[in-house]
Amino acid sequence: MRFEVRVSFKPGVLDAEGNAALDALKSLGFKASGVATAKVYYIETAEPQARVEEMCRKLLANPIIQDYRISKV
Amino acid sequence: MKKSDVRVCIVRAPGTNCDAETLDGVIAAGGTGEIVHFNRLHGGSRKLEDYDALIFPGGFSYGDEIRSGVIWARKFLGLLGDDLKKFVDAEKPVLGVCNGMQVIVESGLLPGLRGASEAPEACMASNASARYECRWIFLKKTGDCLFTEKYAQGEVVEMPVGHAEGKFTLEPGREQKILDELEANKQIVFRYCRADGALARGEYPLSPNASLDDVAGVSNPSGTVFALMPHPDRSCFGWQRRDWTRTGKVDGEGDGLRIFKGLVDYCAKKF
Amino acid sequence: MGLYEKASEEFDFWRVRVREASYAELDQISRERGLSLSAREMKLLQEYYKKIGRDATDVELEAIAQTWSEHCGHKTFKGSFALVERDERGREKKSKVDNLFKTYIARATRELALPWCYSVFEDNAGIVDFDGDNALAFKVETHNHPSALEPFGGAATGVGGVIRDVLGVWADPIANTDVLCFGPLDLPEQRVPSGVKHPRFLYNGVVAGIACYGNNMGIPTVNGAIFFHENYTGNPLVYCGTLGLLKKSAYKHEAAAGDALVLVGGRTGRDGIHGVTFASAGLHEKSEETSRTAVQIGDPIEEEKVKRGILQVRDAGLANAITDLGGGGLSSAVAETAERYSCGVRVDLSLVPQKYPLKTPWEIWVSESQERMLLAVPQRNVEAVKKIFEDELVLATVVGELTAERNLRLFYKNVAVADIDMNFLFTQPTTAKGAVLAKTKPNPLSFNEPASPQEYGVILKKILSSPNVCSKESVVRRYDHEVKGSTTIKPFQGASNEGPGDAAVIRPLRDSWKGAALSNGFNSLFASDAYKMAASAIDEAIRNNVCVGGRRWALLDNFSWGNPNDERQAGGLVAASRACYDYALAFRAPFISGKDSLHNECNGVAIPQTLLVSALGIVPDVRKAITMDAKKTGNYLYIVGETKLELGGSHYCAALDASEAGVIPGVDGARAATLYEAVLRAMDAGLVRSCHDCSEGGMAVAAAEMGFAGGLGVEIDLTQVPRAADVKRNDFVLFSESNSRLLIEVEPDKAKEFEASLKGITFGRIGVFTQNPDFVVKVFDGTEILRENVFELKRVWQKPLKR
Repeated sequence: MRFEVRVSFKPGVLDAEGNAALDALKSLGFKASGVATAKVYYIETAEPQARVEEMCRKLLANPIIQDYRISKV
Repeated sequence: MKKSDVRVCIVRAPGTNCDAETLDGVIAAGGTGEIVHFNRLHGGSRKLEDYDALIFPGGFSYGDEIRSGVIWARKFLGLLGDDLKKFVDAEKPVLGVCNGMQVIVESGLLPGLRGASEAPEACMASNASARYECRWIFLKKTGDCLFTEKYAQGEVVEMPVGHAEGKFTLEPGREQKILDELEANKQIVFRYCRADGALARGEYPLSPNASLDDVAGVSNPSGTVFALMPHPDRSCFGWQRRDWTRTGKVDGEGDGLRIFKGLVDYCAKKF
Repeated sequence: MGLYEKASEEFDFWRVRVREASYAELDQISRERGLSLSAREMKLLQEYYKKIGRDATDVELEAIAQTWSEHCGHKTFKGSFALVERDERGREKKSKVDNLFKTYIARATRELALPWCYSVFEDNAGIVDFDGDNALAFKVETHNHPSALEPFGGAATGVGGVIRDVLGVWADPIANTDVLCFGPLDLPEQRVPSGVKHPRFLYNGVVAGIACYGNNMGIPTVNGAIFFHENYTGNPLVYCGTLGLLKKSAYKHEAAAGDALVLVGGRTGRDGIHGVTFASAGLHEKSEETSRTAVQIGDPIEEEKVKRGILQVRDAGLANAITDLGGGGLSSAVAETAERYSCGVRVDLSLVPQKYPLKTPWEIWVSESQERMLLAVPQRNVEAVKKIFEDELVLATVVGELTAERNLRLFYKNVAVADIDMNFLFTQPTTAKGAVLAKTKPNPLSFNEPASPQEYGVILKKILSSPNVCSKESVVRRYDHEVKGSTTIKPFQGASNEGPGDAAVIRPLRDSWKGAALSNGFNSLFASDAYKMAASAIDEAIRNNVCVGGRRWALLDNFSWGNPNDERQAGGLVAASRACYDYALAFRAPFISGKDSLHNECNGVAIPQTLLVSALGIVPDVRKAITMDAKKTGNYLYIVGETKLELGGSHYCAALDASEAGVIPGVDGARAATLYEAVLRAMDAGLVRSCHDCSEGGMAVAAAEMGFAGGLGVEIDLTQVPRAADVKRNDFVLFSESNSRLLIEVEPDKAKEFEASLKGITFGRIGVFTQNPDFVVKVFDGTEILRENVFELKRVWQKPLKR
């Protein structure tokens, strides 16, 4: 089974890389009003989705600043 | 025990790179130290319990993939969690510097309001500048722990920082409540400030990262676990200071040395 | 019958019919296989195979092409030049120069025969004595072409590569330096040639790459420079340097037949295939498509682990020899190791750990995958070596051994895929080129002197905010320059750490106060006169070193040039090499290592001829090192050295759109050497409070920087500046970029002693530092020709690259 895990910043948490990208895009003359970044992990595993949730909580996401979303692909 | 009998474990993982200067600090403080690969501590030739103190030095453990410090934190808990718990319960000092702070925060050991937590209670997020920042900053002592007994309350000291993820962050919405509790416990040991001691209030570059409430270093409630982003290991001696050619203070101590002295003296007294 | 014949059913291995190939077919083979070998070289190769009575294998062709490449063989520098020198009136003088390297660069080192040169031009890094027991290894490399295509990866692996050069002499890397050249950051998109990435993109990527590798490995980046010029747009320059420390007793190079070859570090993939042949040709519009595989990916954590392992092997004395894998991969490392110890070698390519199965043996042989080192280990120590690396979580694999027979023998899955006579492989063909050196008459300085203090102020601010003078702090702070806790003199200095330091000082040993001073010198705005450009680079590198108290200089040369087949480019190479010889002798500063990167051009546009000179000096006691920031109100300001009518290539002329005007600054080597010695004596006597070098922007910029770094004003009486008789204008005094000049701060009660110590040296007491934070310049009758607030000057200087 292959899971897609998307880790993104919680609303209101500063996305420094996103802001830097936005700034750079503007300096290149593009019109953009926001950039948010997220990390995507593709996990090959025989474990059930509940265990993938555990992977997120234990390692892939820090619940203080990050949300995660799991989907089967 | 004698100071020179205090044995400090400076643990390293792939990507740790401040172990040598950390050892210099421990030695200058009168203790003895050993740089030990993490893999020797689990199933290897060394035992954590044989040491009096543990330091997680700076660097980029495991390349800081996923999030800075998280891989080492989770591996450490997975492979040596019980040993670490015993170590902390025995009130043996644990210090984290820079990447070491990121590891300790990700491990849930800090801020540790209800003891070590399973999930991290804080996060060392990206600097607001989205960049690595290497610069000297001013720090004000605003809390207390065993490592900082040799600094006066409110004292302003200087150390360099060198990190890209040093923004102390708490759960959104609950920040103030947690900060109040940390403050009451004197856990916010160091804050970024101006030369005159006025707090940085997040202003760049006084605060290199826009850390919440200017937090630069925190301890656990009992003060035996302490972590900070600035580098005491790079500011142990006068000749390392940023301005010794102006002040002439080249032969004396740097401001960071007292952290190692605090650690060594505590161990010498207690054990 | 075709040129190629399949030689294996199982894997990708071909025989190439070189013996019967025509000239056209030889050329076709060289081009089709991307060998970058000339017709003459292909012919030489054909004769070899005719002699041994068989055809070549594809692996052999690749091995030969690597060894003979410009990158590995330096055939231009070792070749000959038919030189035509033409003076201003067109009169010609003809001569022949053989081997620039031997005739000029190495000759100076040999003639100086300084006892502290421990190992020069032997390894990939030069080694000099530090304190008797310990030595310093120093090397600067270029990684220009890879950085043009993939700036982050190219720059990161440039840093990784030069660190391995230093590890390759058993040294612990302790500091990095880097010098970068780009096109203008504000270049309009339509001026960016097709197939070229915008300078800002390259700049961001290169800076991030350097920061990533150095920071992750925990090696402080303590010194460097960034330079902008439109002709670097298509071909940026990325110079990466590393300083290393080693115990002399651990410097072991004594491999012998029978030693196992142990490959340590990362796995081998298709990365960087043909990197060296790629580096030996110019860039063009399609380079990105054709050369993507020539760019490598870096993993600093892997190299950090490799470093830990190597230092343990070194300290335990377990290996006989070491070399790094850089350009040319295993091919260069293995062949050069065998050659150095007069051995042959036998390697089984199927033993090389691979990232993914590689079915093409020649690719394994020439791959430039990063973070790999080669050790020659006595068989009895192999297990112990493997254990050390295993403990560091690093792969260490025996891939072959050195043999007494002088052949390079390669196997893949038990099939012999190459067997070349070592003597033939290292019979390196050199080149014969034409070179022209033409002197031209300088254009007159036809502009007027600024008419008012306001006009002077505008021009000073224009220079301070110009890209090549303005603060690079936003870049430098992304490099960790404090890790290891040894950086005693830091890149930014002064009251609030904002003043630009001239050189860095490292204190590598905790039980010795001795320090190492690192500095660089180069100015490609002087490129119209290659001899003076090189002389200026040498003087500047040494001058910067003197500023912090460095002496006993060892130098590195780094040539980045255009196509050497162009006679004027070749002429510049000859002239610059001559300057290297002349000034190495004058300063008693030998070259200990170097590098040449030729063919730096893009779509036919060559870069400015660029010689970077890096200086490594010794500071006997770091506690006496000097910084550039003004220290105290009331202290005197001196200038040491003579100001000449030398505004060619100056920032002043550039600010007035008169870049082509004026005479390029030269160097009087004997006078400069005496001057530096006197200044160092004054420093040792404790008479100097600060010292700053006059370079880009002349004494005006240097004085302003000293003032604002210390948060003090400075008041200058321009009449006191010693000058050549033909310097008749105030603006020329302020902005001339004459070499060999320093600004020095001295306390009033030490002034007499200081002046006495400079007996016989040209100097002038030109001013005083003031509490009032204004930079004031007065002339003979007390008239102010300039008055600007230093904090405003600082702001202007910091603004352009603030982020």
